[in-house]
Amino acid sequence: MANIRQLDKRRKSVKNIRKITRTMELIATARFKKAMDRAAAATDYTKRITQIVQDLAKSGTDVSHPLLVARSEIKSIDMLVLTANRGLCGGYNGNLVKAATVRRNEIKQQAANGQLSVSGKKGISALRFAGMPIEHTFTEFDDQPAYDAVARIADSLIERYITGKVDRVDVVYTKFLSSSKQIATVETLLPFSSLEMPSADSSKAVSGSQGIRDDYEFLPSAGAILEEVVPASFRARLFKCFLDAAVSEQIARMVAMKGATENAGDLIKSLSRTYNRARQSKITGEIMEIIGGVEALG
Amino acid sequence: MADKQVRCVVVTPEKTALEASCDSLTLPLYDGEFGILPGRAPMVGRLGFGLLKMRNGTSTTDWFVDGGFVQVTRDGVFVLTDRLLKPDQIDKKQAEEDLAKAMTIKTNSQETHALKERTLTQARAKMRLAK
Repeated sequence: MANIRQLDKRRKSVKNIRKITRTMELIATARFKKAMDRAAAATDYTKRITQIVQDLAKSGTDVSHPLLVARSEIKSIDMLVLTANRGLCGGYNGNLVKAATVRRNEIKQQAANGQLSVSGKKGISALRFAGMPIEHTFTEFDDQPAYDAVARIADSLIERYITGKVDRVDVVYTKFLSSSKQIATVETLLPFSSLEMPSADSSKAVSGSQGIRDDYEFLPSAGAILEEVVPASFRARLFKCFLDAAVSEQIARMVAMKGATENAGDLIKSLSRTYNRARQSKITGEIMEIIGGVEALG
Repeated sequence: MADKQVRCVVVTPEKTALEASCDSLTLPLYDGEFGILPGRAPMVGRLGFGLLKMRNGTSTTDWFVDGGFVQVTRDGVFVLTDRLLKPDQIDKKQAEEDLAKAMTIKTNSQETHALKERTLTQARAKMRLAK
């Protein structure tokens, strides 16, 4: 008797859980679309920056900047870890923390100094639990990271790099490869290397919309423009990391919640079967009792 | 032949903030105002902080641009800036605070000096335009 009631209770609670996980899946889907749109909108800027760099290179400018120079002796390495503020997103945070811990141990052998900055409550608590000293923590980045806040972090990193306080900056984040593949990666952001430079003798001399080469006038000078382009490009790069992380988080949550909803469905099915069987056997038992009583009377 | 209008596209790291055509365009270049008319020869310039003015007939639209670059191509004028704000969106109080803070920065190297100068001009330009 009690067994039947327990089964029914359990089935009801699983149904409630399924409702919740389904809603969370829908929310994650909506947020994923929004985050994806933002990430797509941000590519315009990167494209234009790349265009300017290419035009600079074509004009024969010698591309050099303090941020592009790798230091021969590395004494201090900063690390920035981008995790989520919330859980229930499968292995998303776990993978990041694992990657960060591995890299952190490597760094310790190479360089004595360096700051660890973490974004996202989950990463902060996990890494703090692992006994790592965390210098800066950020919790304001959710599914729509603001450029202003990212630019502030980028500027402080640039300042530390140029003034020689740090010789390398690594960032740990989940890279968005496609909507079905995201991987936790560690990338070295500074010295900055992702300026896409066309090789000097490439046949790109004839480009532009009408196939005519534009001879640009540079104000104040190509060198001065480059001096500004490199930090801007770095900020855009770091912003892209944050956007990637936001999109990946929503996908991870979507997948995790989809799995949870499916599992709840399976559980409900098997609970219903056991419940029905128990109920049927109870009814059968009662009928047997009644029949037994009737026979005894007759 | 050259178009009668200038196509102006403003791109920020977050999105394409503005895409419009106008008769003429005034930009804050690093050393002063810079006007662009249709058919301008290709150029790349560094922007300062200040007023971006788009003129269409007799009406003008004002925007605040926060540094960056401008690239003039035969397809149009591309402005790359960190922020594009309407003058009434500028937080004057914040700008005043930034200015006061920048004043106290101690400069002991070329880099910190450049940083200080940059913050000062940015805050001043904001305060000039804020309503």
